[in-house]
Amino acid sequence: MATKMADLDSPPKLSGVQPPSEGVGGGRCSEISAELIRSLTELQELEAVYERLCGEEVREELLEPGRRKLHPNLQLIEGDAKQLAGMITFTCNLAENVSSKVRQLDLAKNRLYQAIQRADDILDLKFCMDGVQTALRNEDYEQAAAHIHRYLCLDKSVIELSRQGKEGSMIDANLKLLQEAEQRLKAIVAEKFAIATKEGDLPQVERFFKIFPLLGLHEEGLRKFSEYLCKQVASKAEENLLMVLGTDMSDRRAAVIFADTLTLLFEGIARIVETHQPIVETYYGPGRLYTLIKYLQVECDRQVEKVVDKFIKQRDYHQQFRHVQNNLMRNSTTEKIEPSCTMQELIGLYVTMEEYFMRETVNKAVALDTYEKGQLTSSMVDDVFYIVKKCIGRALSSSSIDCLCAMINLATTELESDFRDVLCNKLRMGFPATTFQDIQRGVTSAVNIMHSSLQQGKFDTKGIESTDEAKLSFLVTLNNVEVCSENISTLKKTLESDCTKLFSQGIGGEQAQAKFDSCLSDLAAVSNKFRDLLQEGLTELNSTAIKPQLQPWINSFFSVSHNIEEEEFNDYEANDPWVQQFILNLEQQMAEFKASLSPVIYDSLTGLMTSLVAVELEKVVLKSTFNRLGGLQFDKELRSLIAYLTTVTTWTIRDKFARLSQMATILNLERVTEILDYWGPNSGPLTWRLTPAEVRQVLALRIDFRSEDIKRLRL
Amino acid sequence: MSMEDYDFLFKIVLIGNAGVGKTCLVRRFTQGLFPPGQGATIGVDFMIKTVEINGEKVKLQIWDTAGQERFRSITQSYYRSANALILTYDITCEESFRCLPEWLREIEQYASNKVITVLVGNKIDLAERREVSQQRAEEFSEAQDMYYLETSAKESDNVEKLFLDLACRLISEARQNTLVNNVSSPLPGEGKSISYLTCCNFN
Repeated sequence: MATKMADLDSPPKLSGVQPPSEGVGGGRCSEISAELIRSLTELQELEAVYERLCGEEVREELLEPGRRKLHPNLQLIEGDAKQLAGMITFTCNLAENVSSKVRQLDLAKNRLYQAIQRADDILDLKFCMDGVQTALRNEDYEQAAAHIHRYLCLDKSVIELSRQGKEGSMIDANLKLLQEAEQRLKAIVAEKFAIATKEGDLPQVERFFKIFPLLGLHEEGLRKFSEYLCKQVASKAEENLLMVLGTDMSDRRAAVIFADTLTLLFEGIARIVETHQPIVETYYGPGRLYTLIKYLQVECDRQVEKVVDKFIKQRDYHQQFRHVQNNLMRNSTTEKIEPSCTMQELIGLYVTMEEYFMRETVNKAVALDTYEKGQLTSSMVDDVFYIVKKCIGRALSSSSIDCLCAMINLATTELESDFRDVLCNKLRMGFPATTFQDIQRGVTSAVNIMHSSLQQGKFDTKGIESTDEAKLSFLVTLNNVEVCSENISTLKKTLESDCTKLFSQGIGGEQAQAKFDSCLSDLAAVSNKFRDLLQEGLTELNSTAIKPQLQPWINSFFSVSHNIEEEEFNDYEANDPWVQQFILNLEQQMAEFKASLSPVIYDSLTGLMTSLVAVELEKVVLKSTFNRLGGLQFDKELRSLIAYLTTVTTWTIRDKFARLSQMATILNLERVTEILDYWGPNSGPLTWRLTPAEVRQVLALRIDFRSEDIKRLRL
Repeated sequence: MSMEDYDFLFKIVLIGNAGVGKTCLVRRFTQGLFPPGQGATIGVDFMIKTVEINGEKVKLQIWDTAGQERFRSITQSYYRSANALILTYDITCEESFRCLPEWLREIEQYASNKVITVLVGNKIDLAERREVSQQRAEEFSEAQDMYYLETSAKESDNVEKLFLDLACRLISEARQNTLVNNVSSPLPGEGKSISYLTCCNFN
């Protein structure tokens, strides 16, 4: 329907209808069908259609008068059309008639409602006015406020309209009285509230507090009530602070009395909020508690400030800080303190003190380092990490991310430079090269010597007289270094999990986690530095302690002839000439290290030792001569050695001994050309570690092989 | 960009008197902003920006520290792990220039001996109020063997250049270190293969 209307209403469409062309027979037919007309119900549309039809009719009459004669039916159509026009006019009038009455009725109804509403409001106004007067007389302020509240809720424009009416003067008077009553009530409530707060009469305070919102004075009510609560907070805090100042230093809680005071303050405020939440939310509406808390926060900050100031004064904090500062050899002037940054500054001072504490206690732990027999490490490692953990833990409990990060940084510095230097210097003194027997004796007796000199605090500074002492010191230090590396990793993990909670509370803003992670990764990197130091120490130990011992034992291989006959071979079988003693020596030496070093370090050391054995033995073998049975003897010796070394190390040693094993194979050949059974395409799974030149060199060690045969070999 | 997606990681710490514009330099570089009426920094702030230099991703961790003396104990703890320090003063404030020797003493005491220090004279947009001549600053920085640059965080003058040149120099230092130390000591950047560096016009 709507679209049809739009079509008909739009003038361009209507006027744009092409006039029926003369040449076309059907030109008389109107664009508007009978169905369309029948479906029309709205007056306007009908009028429009009618107009158009009339227009068309006129046009036809003017243009084609002759046609009528040719079509007698037109007469009929004309009659029908007139009838239709009559019907439309009638319908139109009827519709107009009916709808205008409805409109009038509707208007009347609306006015009636308005009249009732206004009458109600006026009655209410009157009722409120009377009610307020009565209530005020009876000092029933709640009731009075309820009336005012009702009045304030009335539609002001309606009241205004009523004042212009006949009853204007009466309403005016009422309104005036009401407004007066409102002002009076406001004044009374404010006054009574002030009195109640002054007298600390909580029921009365609450009574009038509830009335403020009824008078539309939400902000004022909350402000006044907050003032009242803040005063309470302040007086309680002052009372507490006075008590603190009177506390004897021998009191059990004396050390943390200021922290206790802050806790009391916070708890007190929390209780106030908790207690008054229902009343505020009920009478002032949800969300209003925020206003109250805002006021309380200001008071809270003010009180904290006072406590911190007192703390700084009472404990001579600045004095102590300056003292520490002087000890740290720093020159700086103290500036004036602004209250807004007091906390951050306090933390800054604290960090310096904590750093001083950490450094001094670590130094002390190093000075008091003791070693107990049966332990792998000495006391200072555990002590140092206990101290560092404690210091960082304390910083963490400040809940200040800057404080925590600063402490982690300082701990990193302490461990990486100062403490690592201590261990590094000990290792730099080296492991004194002496005979095997010295070590044996040394490890057992050095303990007492070391113990006594440690207590004099000169262990790492003065020259070490006893080599035994020096050896033990070196081994213990190696263990210490390894444990440090481990402990740093552990410390990192512990701190990470400790701080998860802190971050879930969202402390320190968005950067907190990133700051923390960055500082912590610096700390974790120190672990690798200790690992590097350990490797350095192990290499030193291997070259100064193991290699000099090993050399003569391996060199004794020369004293055993490997140009032997059946008889000697059998004799060797019964009375082993070299390898058993060598294994025994190795076993004894390593046993000492095994007892004194941690499993991880010991394992690394045996790894270094086996490599050394392989390299050195190869050199010796290449300087010896063999015959067939001597080669067989060497093969037996090598197998025993590998079998033994396999039992003492977790490293795969086959690989390290691959070249030697291949040399033994060569020395064991029946004749020179037999090598070709193992070489080149015949090597099978065997990968040769010896070059062709080396193979010839080893073949040449066999005195029974002719050098021409070896030269002739095609490898 | 994922956490580990970079070729080099460097820590840069800004130091210098309060109010010389350290925070503004960092903000200008990392966020492209000049926050007017910046309040004093309390403690330390932390920003990250990853830049690409000759096809290498360089992650710069920038620590903006409080200039005020009373927060020094916290800020000093960051010097040691810094690969570079940007020592900033205000060209319109003689006092901030006069304090530089004191700052150098701090660096000497707390920073690593391998640290690269750049001297920056900020606020050149306030040229009419200049109190420290460029020549004086250049002489000073030369005597102290420092690279010197004048910037304006407000007009964004030389700010990019400051950080990018610094990153270039840190890369070449890191590479030299890799050459000298081989693999024995851990470096800030990854130990990548060494190629000749031509991008830097530093010094």
